[in-house]
Amino acid sequence: MKNELLYTAAFEELQQIVRDMEAGEITVDELSVKVKRAAELIAICKNKLSSTEEDVNLILKELEN
Amino acid sequence: MSENRQIFTLKQVVSSIRKTLEERYQQAYWVKAEMHKLNLYPSGHAFPELVQKENDKIVAQVSGSIWSHNFQRINRQFMVVVKEPLKEGTTLLLQVKVAFSETYGLSLQILDIDPNYSLGELQRERDETLHKLQAERLLNRNQQLNFPLLPQRIAIISADTSKGLSDFMKVLNNNPWNYHFFTMLFHAYLQGDMAVPSIIEQLKRIEKVKDHFDIVVIVRGGGGEVGLSCYNNYALCKEIASFPLPVLTGIGHSTNMTVAELVAFRNAITPTELADFLLQTFHDFSVPINDAGKSLRAYSKRLLEIHSQHFASETKHFKNSAHLYLNASKNKLVQKSQQFNAEAKTLILRKREALHFAQKESIAHTKRFFKIEKEHVLGFQLDLPQKLKALLDREKRNIQEAENMVNLMNPKNVLKRGYSITTINGKTVHGEMAIQEGDFIQTKTYDLEIESIVQKISKHEE
Repeated sequence: MKNELLYTAAFEELQQIVRDMEAGEITVDELSVKVKRAAELIAICKNKLSSTEEDVNLILKELEN
Repeated sequence: MSENRQIFTLKQVVSSIRKTLEERYQQAYWVKAEMHKLNLYPSGHAFPELVQKENDKIVAQVSGSIWSHNFQRINRQFMVVVKEPLKEGTTLLLQVKVAFSETYGLSLQILDIDPNYSLGELQRERDETLHKLQAERLLNRNQQLNFPLLPQRIAIISADTSKGLSDFMKVLNNNPWNYHFFTMLFHAYLQGDMAVPSIIEQLKRIEKVKDHFDIVVIVRGGGGEVGLSCYNNYALCKEIASFPLPVLTGIGHSTNMTVAELVAFRNAITPTELADFLLQTFHDFSVPINDAGKSLRAYSKRLLEIHSQHFASETKHFKNSAHLYLNASKNKLVQKSQQFNAEAKTLILRKREALHFAQKESIAHTKRFFKIEKEHVLGFQLDLPQKLKALLDREKRNIQEAENMVNLMNPKNVLKRGYSITTINGKTVHGEMAIQEGDFIQTKTYDLEIESIVQKISKHEE
């Protein structure tokens, strides 16, 4: 669930940066920081698309309880 | 015990009962009864138990029998009309004949079962489930949940032998975009009497570990439309509707959508379609991310270009402006200094002229002054003898006058004119002196000195 929140937040933050950019609300001063941040967020989201970190054993153990 | 008692054999009795019953119940009857248990034997014959319940209590019970050929025919009709095989625990409309066997006793021989009645019953169950869920406000409960951005962790309720499951997994796992899903199978019966309890049980298990999953899917397929009536079961539908995770169904074709499909978060007609939908949600997430990457690049580039152009033009502008400003200042300076020079020259010239003029003026003045003074002196010179004489005459006159005055003032002259001077003890007499009668006074005239004694003193009025 934590991961879920993390990448939902990441996705929303990314969308916000893109919206800000399109609205011309990012200055040159912020640009490199924002682009760097956006790249991190993209990496988080893309990574999420192609991976899951579920521990099957954990689920099975919880099921037994 | 009487001696003439009649003793029957058991066979005589049951034969008699059989005859009586056969005479009394010759025709077939339509009977509504619940098939409690089917009791299908390997021979193909079935011996179902028929009951009637009132308030969940059995108020009538009798055994039935269906011969193999009838059973097969009835089942075929059911599959065609109801899309379900004969099911235990349902109320059926049976065509029966009363049968009695000397060895097996009373039974109802089932000749036919009306599939349309059963279809109606199923429809009734479906309607009832819908009404109950609606009354409990559960119909849209599952659909009101938030669908996860990425439905990545999937709890699958299915059977490992199901064609639907393998279709579903194939689409998920062989997606060309390399999207990764985490799936866990929760095995359940997908049709028949065991379906409802086993699906409910698995839902309850999933609920225990719901934090590990984003969605639940129920997939089933390949079997056509047969056996879907369990998905109208109230208990199952309630479980699905109130489940804390979105439940998605892909349970196969149905001309009449089951309640489970209606209350599910989303219903896909086939497992394949359901898997495609999940992939689509991944696309929906992935596309904006890729777009974001593109627009980041494009926007950054554009922003930098705009700013560097702006900077270049500003620099150029600044250079021009500075140049212009310097030139203008230089020109102004030159102009000012020229102006200053000119003005200084003019001023010096003017001052020099003024000085020159003043010089001339002063010389002229001096000359004129001297001339006037000379004329004055000359005038004096000319006037001098005359003036001197006048002066001397005036002085002479003055002196004469003074002399006259002096002469007038001389006491001798005064005395000569008849005046006299009185003294007392050598001092002249005047008002304030304490002069008394009998004092001795001296009177001097022009030519005499008289001594006298004062006889009377009085003041005279003037």
